[in-house]
Amino acid sequence: MRQVISPGSTTGPYFPREFSDGSEDLTQRDGYTAQGQHLVIAGRVLELGAKPTWNIVLEIWQPDASGIFRHPLDLRAAEADPGFWGWGRARTAQDGWYRFKTVLPGAYDDRCPHINCTVLGIGLTRRLLTTIFFSDAPDAVRDPLLDCVTDLALRRRLFAQRDPSLDADGLPAYRFDIILRGEGETPFFVD
Amino acid sequence: MKSDYEYSPLDDRTQMFREIDQYTASSRRVPETPLIARPLTLSERTGPIELPRKWNVGALDLCRADENGPRALGQLISVSGRVTDEDGSPVAGVVMELWQANAAGKYIHEMDDHIAPLDPNFTGQGRLVTDEDGAYQVFTIKPGAYPVLYSGWWWRPPHIHFSIVGSSWMNRFVTQIFFPGEPLNEKDLLLNAVPDKDVRERLIFEYTDTVMGDFSYIGYRRDFVLRGHRRTPEMA
Repeated sequence: MRQVISPGSTTGPYFPREFSDGSEDLTQRDGYTAQGQHLVIAGRVLELGAKPTWNIVLEIWQPDASGIFRHPLDLRAAEADPGFWGWGRARTAQDGWYRFKTVLPGAYDDRCPHINCTVLGIGLTRRLLTTIFFSDAPDAVRDPLLDCVTDLALRRRLFAQRDPSLDADGLPAYRFDIILRGEGETPFFVD
Repeated sequence: MKSDYEYSPLDDRTQMFREIDQYTASSRRVPETPLIARPLTLSERTGPIELPRKWNVGALDLCRADENGPRALGQLISVSGRVTDEDGSPVAGVVMELWQANAAGKYIHEMDDHIAPLDPNFTGQGRLVTDEDGAYQVFTIKPGAYPVLYSGWWWRPPHIHFSIVGSSWMNRFVTQIFFPGEPLNEKDLLLNAVPDKDVRERLIFEYTDTVMGDFSYIGYRRDFVLRGHRRTPEMA
């Protein structure tokens, strides 16, 4: 007989700092360095009134530079990059900023380069799900998830923007702000 | 045969309300724009199965800051249970993270400005991995209640936070579990943000037993059902 899923809840304000430390960098694994274009993704998580959020937890999941997931469901998993975990976690500082160091995800099948992003934190009894895309020509991108966002203005909000002012450690930076509520709200997907 | 899993959208009747009166953070942070339906592709169906290798996941006793140090103040308890999928099959080898206030209702966290004291022998957090039967057990102390200062009236009842990072992006799970018989449970904004009484019961530990010996404790249990069920085989 089918069991009913357990009720979830918010992380609350006190998600331990130590649970995020070290997981902002996805590019090192078992003494190997990830292949592909290393980059920084950074931005601010803002609540109503464009106010910064503190201690919002972001989790990301993505394929490696060749478009392979380190997971048995991926038929190419045996060829996954030994230097890449695919998973990361960061939290916002008091000024609302977060930062990940990762690689540009590869395309595969009918999916164009993208990073899955979960938002957890106080005020959110349910997680929020969005997806970060990369392209110099966003409106031309065809992707089965992106194509569910029919409003062009909303669709464009799902693309990280190259932002040289945030470059760090010699890596190119892409900016992706997450606006939880209010003007410029980020599109979120059904969970 | 992990490829057989299906993930249905969460049923609102089994979950907390998204926006809660007086829980002001929810009305500043819950999006107003409707969520967008989308297909689940390989990207959403896979997940970080290797985290037990990445992290230190041996935490079975949260009552000591270090192995030979003194015990934390408070009532020693055991918290245990089983993690399964919607078919009742064990979800084995996934990371569970726990965090909680100390016996005085204080978290080790820069955002906690409650006046209660810290306990140097209590870290209030730990990670473990579910065993092959999906089971888990930790020893800890019963957390204290604490005031939500901005609210002017709201005291959080004793509760423990759980986070499970599963085998799929779709079965990621976060919750908080309360203790039976606590008067503060009646007014808690989060616990009571579940409309259905039976669902609410699943946010509360079950008292199981008391154990006597060199190491005496009170036992509590809470099982978790993560999203995901096996695809029904097609009839020939």
